[in-house]
Amino acid sequence: MTPHDDQASRILRALGGVDNIVEIEPCTTRLRSEVKDPAVVDQPALRAAGAHGVVVSGRVVQVVIGPAVDVLASELEDLM
Amino acid sequence: MAPDYKHVRVRDYLRGLVAHELDVGATIPSERELCERFGVSRMTVRQAIDALVNEGLLHREQGRGTFVAPPRTDMELRLVGFGDDMRRRGMTPYTDLLDAETVEAPWDVAEALELEARSLVHHVQRLGWADGRPMALEESWVSATAFPDLLDGAPDAFPESLYATFRDHGHDPDWGEDTVSASDASTHEAELLQLGAARTVLRITRRTFAGQVACAFSRSCYRADRYTLWVPLTAPNPVVTPRVRAAMTSTPGSTEPRSAGTTQEVRR
Repeated sequence: MTPHDDQASRILRALGGVDNIVEIEPCTTRLRSEVKDPAVVDQPALRAAGAHGVVVSGRVVQVVIGPAVDVLASELEDLM
Repeated sequence: MAPDYKHVRVRDYLRGLVAHELDVGATIPSERELCERFGVSRMTVRQAIDALVNEGLLHREQGRGTFVAPPRTDMELRLVGFGDDMRRRGMTPYTDLLDAETVEAPWDVAEALELEARSLVHHVQRLGWADGRPMALEESWVSATAFPDLLDGAPDAFPESLYATFRDHGHDPDWGEDTVSASDASTHEAELLQLGAARTVLRITRRTFAGQVACAFSRSCYRADRYTLWVPLTAPNPVVTPRVRAAMTSTPGSTEPRSAGTTQEVRR
């Protein structure tokens, strides 16, 4: 798996890239992210990257990941 | 404010009696005693008692009086089945299998179980009892692809625990998500749960996962007069923010590969 093809990279791209991120927080089973523009969030790409669900409310996008969300969040931190 | 104040005083007094002095099933002081003790009208006393009956702290029986209600069971949402959950609380569970059949998944079930539309799923409906009283009505859907033989023994030899069956198939449930909401039971639900005048139930929707596999989707309704939701709290995790956000958004020529990724690139 190339660095840009791992789950964290794919999820970051699907959320609209680092430019679109205001903040990201791991919440037990979900990645809660606040984005600048929810319109560029690609839900099918999030699902394809392994998300078990996506809940969008305003500028907050919750991505259902499971307990691995803590690891994912620290990988995202490295990418940002 | 004055009438409210009196009724609150009576209510708080009764709340204290229930918490510290009276046993479950004991009668509370009569309306007349309470009127005299607080120098209030019978209407005020009734208002106080009604509030505690509504809260489920007291239990009124027509013609017999008002008693201290049994405490609700603390419900901690955990990834265990009904039977194990009740045993863990020291109660004896019993499960009635109301329905077990293999059907085409309704769209919401297919979505929750991450299956193609109209995939085959096992539909199981059960009524859970604890210590001889109906507690919860649970409807579950399980992928028939992942667990083809789940209903083979039904109804006579239906497994008591779905979770144990998942484990036997090499899928050990290790995480899930619940949503909880309160509403009134339907007439059918109220009948099965033997509800009286109080019809409120806690509705729990659950997705159960073993790793990346969605094992089950369920909708349950629990008697709100028997359960109180117990939720352990922790402080939120620290948030992660882009380190270079300010610099990148203010630089028009920013062509970092990772920030240039558009939604189109990852679409199939």
